[in-house]
Amino acid sequence: MKTFSALVKREVLDGKNGYILVPVILTGITLILVVLSSLGLGNIIYFDDMRGAGIANLADAMNQLVEQEPKEMPAGMTLMYWVTTGLAWVAFPFVIFFSLLGSLYEERRDRSILFWKSMPVADWQEVLAKFFTPVIMAPASFLAVAIAAQLFTALFLSLVMILQGGPVSELWPLGLMITSWFAFIAHYLLWLLWALPLLAWLLFVSSFAARMPFLWAILAPLVLIAVEALFLSTHLFGNWIGLHFGEWQNGAYSQLSHDIDGPRDVLNAVLGGAQWEGLTYSLSNAQFWFGLVVAVGFIFGAIEMRKKAI
Amino acid sequence: MTDTALDAPVVKARNLSKRFGKFRALKGVSFDIPLGRIVGVIGANGAGKTTLLNAVLGLSSYEGELSVLGLDPSRQRSALMKDTCFISDIATLPKWMKVVEVLDYVGAVHPKFNREKAMTFLSRTKIPQDRKIRALSKGMIVQLHLAIVMSIDAKLLVLDEPTLGLDIIFRKQFYQSLLEEYFDENRTVIITTHQVEEIEHILTDVIFIKDGDVLLNADMEELKEQFIEVLVTPGKEKEAMALEPISKGSTFGKSTFVYKNTDRKALAKLGETRRLGLADIFVASMTGEGQ
Repeated sequence: MKTFSALVKREVLDGKNGYILVPVILTGITLILVVLSSLGLGNIIYFDDMRGAGIANLADAMNQLVEQEPKEMPAGMTLMYWVTTGLAWVAFPFVIFFSLLGSLYEERRDRSILFWKSMPVADWQEVLAKFFTPVIMAPASFLAVAIAAQLFTALFLSLVMILQGGPVSELWPLGLMITSWFAFIAHYLLWLLWALPLLAWLLFVSSFAARMPFLWAILAPLVLIAVEALFLSTHLFGNWIGLHFGEWQNGAYSQLSHDIDGPRDVLNAVLGGAQWEGLTYSLSNAQFWFGLVVAVGFIFGAIEMRKKAI
Repeated sequence: MTDTALDAPVVKARNLSKRFGKFRALKGVSFDIPLGRIVGVIGANGAGKTTLLNAVLGLSSYEGELSVLGLDPSRQRSALMKDTCFISDIATLPKWMKVVEVLDYVGAVHPKFNREKAMTFLSRTKIPQDRKIRALSKGMIVQLHLAIVMSIDAKLLVLDEPTLGLDIIFRKQFYQSLLEEYFDENRTVIITTHQVEEIEHILTDVIFIKDGDVLLNADMEELKEQFIEVLVTPGKEKEAMALEPISKGSTFGKSTFVYKNTDRKALAKLGETRRLGLADIFVASMTGEGQ
């Protein structure tokens, strides 16, 4: 366990630009925009109609909102806080993708593998740490930054409300916010299990590619898709990738209400047992299990390649 | 020396082979390396030195029998690395890491690493600990690697061209600290290098490798006893030839003859005798007649 945590720590250090710097910088940019626009609302930024409705600043707008849509406020604020942290998540898939592609490739390229192999650490531990870090530690870091940013936004808005005379307690739907964080984790873990064969493929590519793992990772599946379309006129492989990438959600969440009107319905749909439905759907889905088997195969292959690599 | 030889050998190879496609990099070699030795593995480029060491370190597969500290390196590399250290090629330390982060890492994964010891070694160098490895000079990187390796209480240390590309002062320091502060009768060191003259004085044993075969595995003292060069007194060339030298040449107009396993008293009558250096012994052995 001590060894594994040392390995994960090393991997985080190695990838700290992607894991820490990227979310911090992107979220920082969003927060600056949030701060500037809240201060400017009613003075610099205004929309048609705003003056007529008696809105001179953010507090006026919030007061009106609370008055008109009191029931939508907690859900609305929770969603709003997620939006302020949304920009960083755009980078998240790229961080996972490039971390996995470089994981077992870079150490061979810069010869540091000879140093790692001079330590009493088994190859399977190395490979698992290199898989674990991007798929678990990276999202954990992104989420931590997001949570910090959400709390900062709430704190900042509260300060503005106090100064401008607006509602404060409505800005803190804490219960809902915390629930949304856990719902995020649950949904991510389910997504991870579905995407595991695709992610493990990247790890496997990084374990054997002599050069340009990027091309291997992308071109090999594309060639397979093209060959299948050309000779069999089917699209099974492409569909399979799509399914594991995210299409499965169409099946898993088909029962969800499509009658969405306002933020409360959105949050109700996402938080109201959707994870449970998604999980039971997945566990009874053959493709889900087949994907996990494929993932285990790729990880096993990566370990075998690591044993031989110098 | 003799009682350690009774112990189980640190490295025991029997019919050890390695193929790369059709090329046989190791052709079924057998040898033992006992505890408490400093063994030089000497051979030309491509002779199979690195292939041999990679097999010993569990870095590559092989055919035949190989046991290192009682373990099978191809299956038990991580267990073997608890008691084995190696520096294979210079500059394998991760360039993106800071010096202190490397020490933290080794401290966390290696049960036999002594951090205080490493700090003592490092305090004698100019290596800045908050710098990245990338920012260190070649010499500093090797100093750092050696400091780490010498702070690990291992039984076997393998050095594959550890000083390649370093200047002479670093190389001298490297071997000096190895001998004075690390080596003792409970450790074994295996070294390969092109600069034979620089390690000659610290070796206790040598292994000569040529084309994937072990030509010779001998105690350094005994080996040096075997090879005698005679600066033959003019007029005695005929007698000298009669004793069957393995090679002959001339320096400063005098004939020099090299003998292997020939009676020293008989040789002394021919002229001035002296021992051969390891490099010359290697050349003499490689030319074929030396065996």
